[in-house]
Amino acid sequence: MGGLTSSLMMAVQALIAEQGALSVTSNNIANVNTPGYSREAPTFTDNPPVQMGDLMFGQGVNLKSIDSIRDRLLELRILGETQQQSNAGAQLGFLNQVQGLFSNTSQNIGTDITAFFNSLTQLSTDPTSLPLRQAVLTAASNLAADFHNTVNQLDALTVNLNQNVVQSVNDINRLTSEIAKLNAQVGTLKSLGKDAGVLEDQRNELVNQLAQLTEVHVISTEQGDTITTGNGTALVVGGQSFELQAGTAADGAQHVFALGQDITASLTGGRIGGFLSVRDQAIPDGMKQLDDLAGGLATNFNTAHHGGFDLNGAAGQDFFAPITGTGAARNFALAITDPAAIAASSDGSPGSSGNITNLLAVQTNSLPSGKNPGDAYAALVFTVGDRTAQVKAESTASSLSLQQLQDQRQGVSGVSLDEEATNLIRYQHAFSAAARIITTVDEMTQTVIAMGSPTG
Amino acid sequence: MRINPNPTDDLLAALWQTQQDQQTALQQLSSGKRVNQPSDDPAAAAIYSGNVATESRIDQYLQSVASLRALFQSADAALGSVVTALNQAITLGTEAANGDMNPDNLQQILQGVQGVQNQVLQLANTSFRGTYIFAGTATTTVPFALNGGVVTYNGNSGVNHVAIADGRTLEMNQAGDQIFQNASGDVFGSLQALITGLQNGDKTAIASATTAVGEALQRLNVQRTFYGNNLNQLNGDESALQQQNLNLKSQDNTLVGIDLAEAATNLSQAQTAHQATLSAAAQVLQPSLLDYLR
Repeated sequence: MGGLTSSLMMAVQALIAEQGALSVTSNNIANVNTPGYSREAPTFTDNPPVQMGDLMFGQGVNLKSIDSIRDRLLELRILGETQQQSNAGAQLGFLNQVQGLFSNTSQNIGTDITAFFNSLTQLSTDPTSLPLRQAVLTAASNLAADFHNTVNQLDALTVNLNQNVVQSVNDINRLTSEIAKLNAQVGTLKSLGKDAGVLEDQRNELVNQLAQLTEVHVISTEQGDTITTGNGTALVVGGQSFELQAGTAADGAQHVFALGQDITASLTGGRIGGFLSVRDQAIPDGMKQLDDLAGGLATNFNTAHHGGFDLNGAAGQDFFAPITGTGAARNFALAITDPAAIAASSDGSPGSSGNITNLLAVQTNSLPSGKNPGDAYAALVFTVGDRTAQVKAESTASSLSLQQLQDQRQGVSGVSLDEEATNLIRYQHAFSAAARIITTVDEMTQTVIAMGSPTG
Repeated sequence: MRINPNPTDDLLAALWQTQQDQQTALQQLSSGKRVNQPSDDPAAAAIYSGNVATESRIDQYLQSVASLRALFQSADAALGSVVTALNQAITLGTEAANGDMNPDNLQQILQGVQGVQNQVLQLANTSFRGTYIFAGTATTTVPFALNGGVVTYNGNSGVNHVAIADGRTLEMNQAGDQIFQNASGDVFGSLQALITGLQNGDKTAIASATTAVGEALQRLNVQRTFYGNNLNQLNGDESALQQQNLNLKSQDNTLVGIDLAEAATNLSQAQTAHQATLSAAAQVLQPSLLDYLR
């Protein structure tokens, strides 16, 4: 056609398209600080031309679609790094508390052990002295108190970790049910062939939060995303979410169940993985070393003590309560309360200190665990410190790489105010020009109308 | 090329990092330690815990050394007095054996020797901090008793050992009968023989008893060297322990300590880095294009 009416129609289309683009820009600007928001971009297409005679006339513009700009691969990598980072972070928080128990270099189980044997050395200079004998008992009960104190604090951490596991399971359930709802909406929009931009952003943000809690795998399908845990337990399938349950298992700890099945051991990533790794590995490891130390010390010392005679010439009884294996550190206690019952004598005479040599040998001889008491404690300090240092390094590294990935994602999907300001002017100018066309067409129409006027 | 248009997160991360560095440097400077918790350097922390134990043992050994020194000195002093007393007995015995003595003089000498016997008995029953030092390990029993002119030993032959260094022990005592009733020189036996000789006025017996006292004195001097030797050894051990302590302390400093100059440099570097990051932040957070469009 190519007539004035056609120009007018094209101008109106342009006005509508530019207005639409303007609203995309304003939405971008509005969401500049929204976490997880991906910038949107309008796609203009020109309408198919119309042939008139030999000429092809363009038919104006159409705002075809508004798409979110995102890199799905990058987002999956962010997901993976997020779960690693929050895993390391959760572990680090608790490991720092664990190593706090072994940070004091002037008063700890190691120094208590040395102080205990020192009190025996002191006793050997004056075996009949009751104050020196009492000092041995006091040093031994200090050691017992420190064993108990350490065990109790580890217990308190375990309780705290169990609470955190339950809380994490609740958070996972809340997130998965929200994700399922969004999933259903995204699925509907996609089946209509539309970009679900904002909803997808919201869902991605929730999936990201989910990844902070546990390792998740996301599989995109026609019906929406399927989200599973690291070992393949379904959390969300399309519009349906599957709840996890936390419950006390036979070992007294909180375990995680999916459809009645215990999946605790397979939860590795995310915060919950971090909590579980500290609760089920780091703390039991430390506890075992403490038990080995306490049990070995008590057993070896008792054996040596049996070989001597007390102040009254009677054969030596158990000095420590006989304990071995699990719970040794928890139950570490003195078996005697009478300072005279310390079997320092080797020949039955009160002034002999012959058996103290045997008692002192416990300090340098290997425990059943293969190390002497001092080395066993040093090994414990090393294990705790080394684990913390490793997790710390892991946390720093994954923080950095997460930061880089976020940078890359922002590079692709982030809203740039400069860019939006430029677009604003572009669309505004285009809008003004289109409006100008309408004015011009109006004037031309006036001219045409005036041509037919009798007074013209 | 599109870059991250919102660098605030990066900036915050950088600021936290520099703040953390500052805090670490400050903590190291104020504590004087590079290793403040095991994870700072697990291996050093483990070795350090072993060193702390060794240092604490050394402190105990030094206390034991001091305690033993007092004991040995007191034993040595007691034996020194015994030597003086025995010399007096020998002088008296020689006098009685050689000179022309009337019964009154012999009576006086007898009293003198009996005094020596009592004095030696008292010295042999010397106690230190409430325990008898010449009783073997039966330190709560009075070791020597005089009954009807015969001295009996109620102690035993036990010997106590005290650890004064890792893997090194020192004998703490000698059995009392080895010192005072030794087969090669019996202090109490010879004194008793001298007293009997004086009571009987038997010059031959007095002379041989005096010789026997002399032999006992020699034996006693031999036994006495035990204490003198041990005192010498204690001095050597003490300086070795002190040296070891110094070495450990210096090793500790290398292990977990920090060079103050280095720590101060670290702190000022961290501060500079923090300030640089702050001023970079001020630059980056400058207004956008919107501010120029009017």
